[in-house]
Amino acid sequence: MTAAGPPPPTLPPEAAVAEPRRRLHPLSPVLHGAKSIAVVVAALSWQTLSQVGLERFALVVLVIAVAVVIFSIFGWLTTGYQVVGRELRISDGLLWRRNRAIPLERLQAVELRRPLLAQLTGLAELRLEVIGGGKTEAPLAYLTVREAASLRERLLALAGRPAVAAQPGDQPVTAGAAAPTLERPLLRVRNRDLVVSQLLTPQAFFLPVGVAFVVLQFVMEGSWTFVGIASTVTAMAGVLLQPVRRVLQDWDFRLARDPEGRLAVRYGLLETRSQVVPLNRVQAVGATWPLLWRGQGWLHLRLDVAGYAGEGGGDAKRSDRLLPVGEFATARGLVWEVLPGVDLAALATSPPPRRARWLNPIALRSIGVGLTPEVLVTRWGLLTREMHLVPYARLQSVRVVQGPLQRWLGLATVYADTARGRSGQAKDRDLAEAYALAAELAVRARQARTPEPATPEAYWQSPAQP
Amino acid sequence: MTVDALTPWPDTVEWRTVSPKLITVELIVRWSWTIILVAGLVVGLVLQGHWLWRLGIALVVLNAIWRSFVTVRAVRAWGYAERDQDLLVRHGLVIRRLSIVPYARMQFVDVTAGPLERAFGLATVQLHTAAAASDARIPGLPPAEAARLRDRLTTLGEDRAEGL
Repeated sequence: MTAAGPPPPTLPPEAAVAEPRRRLHPLSPVLHGAKSIAVVVAALSWQTLSQVGLERFALVVLVIAVAVVIFSIFGWLTTGYQVVGRELRISDGLLWRRNRAIPLERLQAVELRRPLLAQLTGLAELRLEVIGGGKTEAPLAYLTVREAASLRERLLALAGRPAVAAQPGDQPVTAGAAAPTLERPLLRVRNRDLVVSQLLTPQAFFLPVGVAFVVLQFVMEGSWTFVGIASTVTAMAGVLLQPVRRVLQDWDFRLARDPEGRLAVRYGLLETRSQVVPLNRVQAVGATWPLLWRGQGWLHLRLDVAGYAGEGGGDAKRSDRLLPVGEFATARGLVWEVLPGVDLAALATSPPPRRARWLNPIALRSIGVGLTPEVLVTRWGLLTREMHLVPYARLQSVRVVQGPLQRWLGLATVYADTARGRSGQAKDRDLAEAYALAAELAVRARQARTPEPATPEAYWQSPAQP
Repeated sequence: MTVDALTPWPDTVEWRTVSPKLITVELIVRWSWTIILVAGLVVGLVLQGHWLWRLGIALVVLNAIWRSFVTVRAVRAWGYAERDQDLLVRHGLVIRRLSIVPYARMQFVDVTAGPLERAFGLATVQLHTAAAASDARIPGLPPAEAARLRDRLTTLGEDRAEGL
């Protein structure tokens, strides 16, 4: 494989303006190798360390890391990306060559991730979210921060333009990309609040119990080996350290609107993430009031963006925070910002009919559904109250489902599906009301779709705060 | 209750049913499995002769008869309607489902036909949207109708599509 690499064979004729294929940063293989050390150590486990001794253990890890680096170098040599018209093309693969073309109008969000090592070396990983992929497609790891930021600006600018305006070789876009952008800061979460909020989680309450259990176990058995403690701690860390992980992840959470009106989210301590989401890509907004946060009147806001749906690994891996913790007034302002015209304080919902208590004996009063001019509101949960807002314009389909018990009671559940996979759910409505609701949703979704999607300028001139 | 879960909006929506031949297909599949199961149980009965085997056979046959009646009604309950902007699909007897899928949200259309379906001249049309939960599958369509529906859906989808 030569270093220059032939251009992808599938180039269409109109790609005459194509720029040369570009490489990832030369340090990428080293970073991949370093990253693999952690994985290797985890795979070999503490047990192996105690058996083979520290020196040989270190040797094994080193050998594997070097092997990964060498393998990554080949990967690096064969990986390239280029912007062709309104597509981003990424080619990679050593044995199985792959040329992937990503139509930029399908771009949902772009995230810039900087793990600790990347921060030390001034590099960043660019992750593009598109619909249909099971996971994040096309992570470009690693680029220099400057390069990643300008590429992101360019991709988003290309993605945001209507197809008519997309002329090949449009200069303003590339020129504007390099200039530092002026952002309007929306919010900054105080780190003290973040720490307190994570202390008020069930896991944090169990942490002392867990630690006491470990200590007690060793005192009883009297075997204070380093390996024993280390492996127990590692085993418990997965569950009990979740609050700590979340604090590290959401550290210094900042939210801003960039000049194009997109939402820019930045957070993280060890691994910083910087995410840009065009507002018309927001599929739904969820609000959660955990039981233990009630004393503070805090809540948590979640942003549903299509493309993150398939990403597993629980909520820690996903980048779907809109507000990790905040007071109601803050959340209200934010929701108004993201879904213009929606006032979190004025979302009236109506509960299901009384006979639905046979299906929801305890939490009947906490279930509800409401229609505002812009969104479908559903709420549920007695201890942890949750609310889900689905804009009509983002509805994919509407379903009415009636189970046998519901049929007996004359009830039905209405689902409002979005591309994110988490549906708005109006549980146990009266059957006639359910059909009326479904019909109403279909009509409103159609009306919301009909006008042209609002231009970025319209988002920028955001309505007055409620 | 004036509203029937199986035929919502009877006066404004013209519901179309699927081909009754689907009943035959479903029955063949059901009874094939029943025969295989009963054959296995008969082998057990011959080898061992315990009365539990007879009970098992009786239960399997009774279940199959009962499910056959349900199948007949379930196929008749399956219906779809094409409105100006969206496709309605309803199905299910025990759990009744109605899906409203706008043409504009269509990502792609599948037309499939298994060997048994093909033998009876049937096909299944399924509409996919970006939401995994969307559920718009219509089995038991004659191939001509399936092709017509597919073409109509794709045409309407093209007219009204706007990505996401």
